[in-house]
Amino acid sequence: MSAPLVLESAESLARAVTQGERSAADVTRAFLAQADRTAPKLGTYLHRLAESALRDAEAIDRRRAKGDPLGPLAGVPVAIKDNICVRGVPTTCGSKILEGYRPPYDAHVVERLRAADAVIVGKTNCDEFAMGSSTENSAYQVTHNPWNLDRVPGGSSGGSAATVAACEAPLSLGSDTGGSVRQPAAFCGVYGLKPTYGAVSRYGLVAFASSLDQIGPFARSARDTALIQGVICGRDARDTTSRADARPISLDALERDLAGFRLGVPRAILDEAGEGLAPSIRAAFESAISAYERAGAKIVDVSLPHSRYAIATYYLIAPAEASSNLARYDGVRYGVRRSDGDLRGMYEATRGAGFGREVKRRILLGTYALSAGYYDAYYLRAQKVRTLIRKDFLDALAVSDALLLPITPTPAFKLVEKTDDPLAMYLSDIFSIPASLAGVPALSFPASFDASGLPIGLQVVGRPFDEETILRVARAYEREHDAASRVPAIALAEAGDAR
Amino acid sequence: MPIDVSVVRKIAALARLRIDPAEEERYARELDGILGFVEQLQALDVAGIEPTSQVTEGARPALRADEVCPFGARDEALEGAPERDGDYFKVPQVV
Repeated sequence: MSAPLVLESAESLARAVTQGERSAADVTRAFLAQADRTAPKLGTYLHRLAESALRDAEAIDRRRAKGDPLGPLAGVPVAIKDNICVRGVPTTCGSKILEGYRPPYDAHVVERLRAADAVIVGKTNCDEFAMGSSTENSAYQVTHNPWNLDRVPGGSSGGSAATVAACEAPLSLGSDTGGSVRQPAAFCGVYGLKPTYGAVSRYGLVAFASSLDQIGPFARSARDTALIQGVICGRDARDTTSRADARPISLDALERDLAGFRLGVPRAILDEAGEGLAPSIRAAFESAISAYERAGAKIVDVSLPHSRYAIATYYLIAPAEASSNLARYDGVRYGVRRSDGDLRGMYEATRGAGFGREVKRRILLGTYALSAGYYDAYYLRAQKVRTLIRKDFLDALAVSDALLLPITPTPAFKLVEKTDDPLAMYLSDIFSIPASLAGVPALSFPASFDASGLPIGLQVVGRPFDEETILRVARAYEREHDAASRVPAIALAEAGDAR
Repeated sequence: MPIDVSVVRKIAALARLRIDPAEEERYARELDGILGFVEQLQALDVAGIEPTSQVTEGARPALRADEVCPFGARDEALEGAPERDGDYFKVPQVV
């Protein structure tokens, strides 16, 4: 018996559609049916696009019938985090302040996906304005972890991670400012890539912290991650930080073995997490190091001495930039408005009613860090520490070809476990934030499972614009371990029913 | 400086953000905790270190030609406004 269609890779689905073995409409229908059954239980979507997805798929089939060449993601369903603009489709960023907003344009990445003949199937739930580590800060709904519905999917791109884990879509996009793609990828047992800063245009991504924001993909294999990254990366004049250095990744190159490869291991960083580091994560990390040694890699001891300051640095820089970026939500051009006398009253009432607690907390923190008398002591100092953190990474990557780190200190935590303690929530970002500050590419890949069946991810960090190497490192692990091929019971049972 | 309710009110006013008075105390406590945590940066010697405002790999941000490009969806953009008057966004009287 053949495997259910929804378990197939994006690569094989696109090939089947291109060769006419399957229609794009059939592929889309299968994933829509899977999401019909599982999405209500998981809370993955804020807005689904069943009708337009099917219409887009049928248009792809007609073009194929005419003999037109199809793109590399022909007929492949892709879900989009709700902070990325899709023209005419509600885009709320999980915030009440943008309720009813329909952007008049597609984000650059959405244009690229359409040009590659992908099918956009919906907008996924996320923490409000991408601020959070559990997706519990969404103003609309909770998202559940497909492996255990009592657990969080991670955040802020929790919906995008969970929808790929549950096989509601083979691919999705999220955004990563301090770990918002990599951490939920680890919690949901899928791949999550934060590309090099500048590799992917942010045109149409709602800005949070502009010196850190980067769009990145989720997938269920290293090759599929490479496939979609190749589609979305590249220069776009509408994002001045976007660079032409990012190139499509050769899938053949991912298959190269690791003989002679130098894998840098910054072991001291594990001690920074102290007792917060779960034994299951440490065990998975040590076991992966042994696996890489067996695969022919040479393990190189490296250190990232300033990464211990990364969380403090991040929680000054990101809120400072957010307080500036979120000034645009003023009740004038989009979203909701609350009137209260004069213009200033309208601003204050609109923002007071429209933003949730975490967003308000970060706006207050950022405003404070940028205010007269504190700028030098907080924001400027944090930017200097950032220079030191980045230099550590470049030094470590000068004596090694890639670095192996944990990505989360624990597997997925329980819903509501950390919502009352913002600092505890922030501390769970200890392994993801350093690479964000350094601007280097970083990939979270599924490594194993803990005793209770929760996924454990690990992180590979690479040199700027060398996404190919970190995907190759993850692919080498994938070939020898089955963590990536396992899917949660909710997806299997439902897929079985659909067969 | 410890963060108290008066500081919360001051920065909320700067940010044009209305805070429920019943929540001011809680924000003060949370911000004080976070700022206490970031104090650790003061221990680091950063003399002579250049600040990183953007990671651009040594390259200058690329500029494009300063040419007018029609947006083409003006009506769609205006439709998103809470209040509109013809081709204008409408706000409460300013002067």
